Amino acid sequence: MEIKTLDILPEKVIIPLKQHIGAVCDPIVKKGDRVLVGQKIGQSEEYVSSAVHSSVCGEVIAIEQCANPDGNKVMSVVIQPEQSDERVEFSSSQSLSSDELADIIKDCGIVEHYGAPTHAVLRPKGKKIDIVLINATSSEWIGGKYKNPEEYAYQMMDALKLLMKTSGASKGAIVLRTDDRESIEAFDGIKVDNRRIVVAPLVGGRKLDYYYKEQGSDVVVVSQKRIYGKKILNFFTYNVTGRKVGSGCDPTDVGVAICGVKSAKALYDVVHSGKPYYETVVSLEGVDGKTDHIQVKIGTLFKDIIEACGYNGKIGKIIANGVRTGVAQYTDQVPVTKGTTRITLQKPEHVLIDESTHCIHCARCVDVCTVELLPSRIAVMADKGQFDECRKLHIENCIECGDCAAVCPSRIHILQFIRYAKQSIGLAYEGVPSESASGPKAGSACGGE
Amino acid sequence: MTYVISAPPHKKERIDIQKLNMGKIIALIPLCLVAIYFFGVPAIQLIITTVLAAVITELGIQKIFKQKVTIGDGHAALIGLMLALLIPPEAPLWIPVFGGFFAIAFGKHVFGGIGSYIFSPVLVSWIFMRSAWATHMTALSLPNTGQLSDLILESGAGMLVDVSPIALIAGLYLIHKRYIEWRIPVSFFATIVLIPQTLLFLSGVYGLIQHGVLNPLMYLSQLFAFLSISPELPYAMVGVLFFGIIFLATDTPTTPVTKNGRLIYGMLCGLLVFIYGYFGNYVEGTLYGIFLASCVSSFIEMNTRPTSYGNASFIERIYGRIKAKVPESLKFEVIK
Ligand code: SF4
Ligand code: SF4
Repeated sequence: MEIKTLDILPEKVIIPLKQHIGAVCDPIVKKGDRVLVGQKIGQSEEYVSSAVHSSVCGEVIAIEQCANPDGNKVMSVVIQPEQSDERVEFSSSQSLSSDELADIIKDCGIVEHYGAPTHAVLRPKGKKIDIVLINATSSEWIGGKYKNPEEYAYQMMDALKLLMKTSGASKGAIVLRTDDRESIEAFDGIKVDNRRIVVAPLVGGRKLDYYYKEQGSDVVVVSQKRIYGKKILNFFTYNVTGRKVGSGCDPTDVGVAICGVKSAKALYDVVHSGKPYYETVVSLEGVDGKTDHIQVKIGTLFKDIIEACGYNGKIGKIIANGVRTGVAQYTDQVPVTKGTTRITLQKPEHVLIDESTHCIHCARCVDVCTVELLPSRIAVMADKGQFDECRKLHIENCIECGDCAAVCPSRIHILQFIRYAKQSIGLAYEGVPSESASGPKAGSACGGE
Repeated sequence: MTYVISAPPHKKERIDIQKLNMGKIIALIPLCLVAIYFFGVPAIQLIITTVLAAVITELGIQKIFKQKVTIGDGHAALIGLMLALLIPPEAPLWIPVFGGFFAIAFGKHVFGGIGSYIFSPVLVSWIFMRSAWATHMTALSLPNTGQLSDLILESGAGMLVDVSPIALIAGLYLIHKRYIEWRIPVSFFATIVLIPQTLLFLSGVYGLIQHGVLNPLMYLSQLFAFLSISPELPYAMVGVLFFGIIFLATDTPTTPVTKNGRLIYGMLCGLLVFIYGYFGNYVEGTLYGIFLASCVSSFIEMNTRPTSYGNASFIERIYGRIKAKVPESLKFEVIK
């Protein structure tokens, strides 16, 4: 797969000071300052936070609230780039201790695509991680950055080791997608520590533990079928390791840290070249259904990317991060952030305007649901505000993939109902200690096999 | 430039209620054509009057109650068409008019319209008329699939729907396209075939016992009963049964939404239809059986709700149920 590099001099780039879950960074540059490529422009004292870096060389023209692809406004540094690639000195730093690695991860702004800062995932406060997973199921961008697939595989294995070292975990795994032949071939047969890697499929009751034992190794590569969704982590953890994550908990509660390919690659780069996280690859899905993979600097505006790719017809909708769960943008003046993976354009005539009618109990939503819920029932209960009923129907398992709403012939906005109910449940139990009998974690301590 | 913003998903399958209903109507057209060929003008009259009566009733009700008019979605027309196929062609014309009206008004709208009814409107109306005007509603003859050609053109047909079981083949395409879900038809059909065959097997075994046979091989050989066709089956394999399996039992609001629930519902339909058919006839047995099964559909649904991640085994589920009944104070936890 070919990856283009966006090679333009945009009018301005907008770098949000918060591209992660956690505290907003404080800017450490002022308006009028000249910044270099890779220069740190924001950082925070908080543990759950991640530094941001300038991706261009230029002048800071403003520090203000700017639109963000999440749909809200975030304090951002606006930089006017100049025709220069002057960059700060990157120094590679190999053979680091675990603590130093964690510091570097925070300092170089490595975050997961789902938002959490990587160091906070690997070393959560008060929890112990014993398995590190690299989720490579949605990595559609192997080429480009790597000379050949083998290099990709080796780098991933190295990165996995670094991640394990950082977290102190003894085991690790890379999870591929069963239908992604390119990656599976890349990993199949490579040699790591004098041992041939065999990509093992996760089928039936065979989870990670089985393969650790079978292969007699602490690092394995497995493959599973494609799943996608916004809140996929808990289900992913269960699928891969067999550990059930209680509601209101996250995988780190059961000792599992999940990292993405992007952050793994970023960590590899940091350690080997000292280059912080300021570039990323996004897929641009155009109106004609063609998809381009483009390497862009973080902070580049959607508008510039769209123009550079030569789409100039009328656009009805711009969607960040996929048509199933992504956020529709109200302006094209939003920047690519560390969490942006995909930009989708729709023609005005393809924009859906749907009116819900009555549920006809056709059960199409039940049949598509990956986690075996009854979306139609949950939607009804959420609509009535009976959130406790929703919890009885295991609403917390929903991975927010949006399949149910996509197949509904009555056009019921099931996903919206589910999100609304989840949010309300979250608010209702905010501040209630998790041990209390009626809290969302009642009866199920986080964890368990 | 302005952009549309809305909640995800931003791309959906192009499927809606209208398409589902139209698909079913189209699948029924071959059967209608054969019926018209077979019964002539009365069949045309019957079909047209019932459909018109149903559609006009829906239009009237929605106008009177100031609801959104939904005759365009084809649901009323579909109900009318299905009902027409279940009325004997000799019936006087006011029967279909009343039937169409009753199905829509009392079968559908009294319960709250599309998606809210608990019994298929077609069956509600049919059963009402069957009880009220038994003479008009009893078909002149009962079909019996004696030979294979009867599957193509049934000579004993008394109602439009029985004329040609093979004309319902388009229903299989609907199942394939998932306009109709496969679980109910499959489990329904399997049950209706397996019960008579099992009875045949059991009666064979019973006969051997009565003769005091001790050789176990003889008993085993009775398993071949599953290969021969039980005398019950030709009575069962009639058009109305296939129609019931594909179109009536799968009327979505009357079926459970859970996956296992649908399988059980199909089996229950099969069982009830068999019981009725065994002691009565399969034409009415199908209709009454499905109607009765709808009564317990929500009970089935409540008891087949999936557990978390849907992976609890049967024993785990029982354990969970018992655990839920134990009072909180008696529970203890292992402290790590
Ligand atoms: S309920 Fe809907 S959004 Fe949630 S997991 Fe099931 S199909 Fe996906
Ligand atoms: S897909 Fe829509 S109409 Fe069908 S059962 Fe689910 S919510 Fe109801």
